[in-house]
Amino acid sequence: MNFTEHTKIRKEKFGTVVFDTLTEKIFITDQIGGEILHLIRQGKGLTEIVNVLGDSYDGDKQLIEKDICEFVNQLKSNNIVSA
Amino acid sequence: MDIVAERKKSSSLIEPAIEGQLQAISGGSNFDDYNSPLFVAWQLNSACNLGCLHCCEEAGHSMPDEMTREEALDFCKQIAELDIPYVAISGGEPLLCPHIFDVCEAIRNNGISLKIETNGELIDEQTACQLAKLKLRSVQISLDGATPETHEKLRLRGDWTKAIAACKYLAGYGVNTEVVFVPTKFNIHQIGDVIDTAYSMGIYGVYTGKIMQIGRAAKNWDILCPSDEEYERFFDVLREKTTAYKGKMKVYYYPYDVIEELKYRLECPSASLLVVPNGKVKLIGPLPFICGDLKKQKLSEIWKNYKKAWRNPQVIEFAKKVIADPKLLAESNNQKEI
Repeated sequence: MNFTEHTKIRKEKFGTVVFDTLTEKIFITDQIGGEILHLIRQGKGLTEIVNVLGDSYDGDKQLIEKDICEFVNQLKSNNIVSA
Repeated sequence: MDIVAERKKSSSLIEPAIEGQLQAISGGSNFDDYNSPLFVAWQLNSACNLGCLHCCEEAGHSMPDEMTREEALDFCKQIAELDIPYVAISGGEPLLCPHIFDVCEAIRNNGISLKIETNGELIDEQTACQLAKLKLRSVQISLDGATPETHEKLRLRGDWTKAIAACKYLAGYGVNTEVVFVPTKFNIHQIGDVIDTAYSMGIYGVYTGKIMQIGRAAKNWDILCPSDEEYERFFDVLREKTTAYKGKMKVYYYPYDVIEELKYRLECPSASLLVVPNGKVKLIGPLPFICGDLKKQKLSEIWKNYKKAWRNPQVIEFAKKVIADPKLLAESNNQKEI
């Protein structure tokens, strides 16, 4: 997964801003969404992201994986990341 | 685990802005919450080779106190330090600025998205190639008519064939090229043909919206401003063309006028700054207020001033006066310190 060419992300105190500068649309997400975005920026794939967040947070790993997949699908459908 | 967006709990990444370019740029959380602007609109110079009747900046001659190359490059450095993701450079005609390519390289070398807004008349094949190497977000060319007569009636000393050639050179070199069209009494009927022409040249998107009653446009308002009926037909055509070109070319139109925009901004200021050629930082285009000076202050300090300025009673009072009497928009370029 990679960010699309014109996508910029920036951490803020309220979360993370995702700015698709081509469409000039802004998205925001919370701290966990920001962590996923940071891991994508580091070049991590979906499995690695699930493992990292699964180790960091308590909870059912399957549910965590489901939430992460949903989030990543939203990123893809909004053309923020490409496969 | 929830992914929370803004203050609403939701399991989704949200798009907080309402549909539209300006809202999208500045939308999102409250502007107060941002560490730095998300967008900088930078009028690099005042010099222009044209004398457009509708020029918001009243461009023409250079200001005596414009930022030097060194000051401009220092500003670029600060933009990068504050992690500002997106910059749009305009003028005057920015390609008349001798250090424009130094500035563009400084911005792009830091991975910042960059758009250049130009009349296109100075873009020959060599310049298009040079611009292509910068891998810009886009170059936006002003095209105010589907024929030379219409375009040049509005853009005095302009040459439609050069603007068209610029579009073709840029598109030919793979530059993401946009066309911007300002509707006036002279040209509003040609919007459909302009959009078709743009598509035939491989343009990425056409942008338009109501003419802004600012600067020279305000002074020429009576001869420029289209009637309500003309605007009605204009937006009908835009709706048709948006549908016709869906998936092929972006047709974007902003439906609000500058007064509606100002009312909105009083409630929701944008997370953006407008820098004029002498390094002064304006609160917003339609108001004359200056909230900082890049020749004397750091950008981070100006961002703090900007946030405070929107709560300044002088600003609020004047903005309300402008909303009540749009003729006051003619004062928008008379810089006032606050």
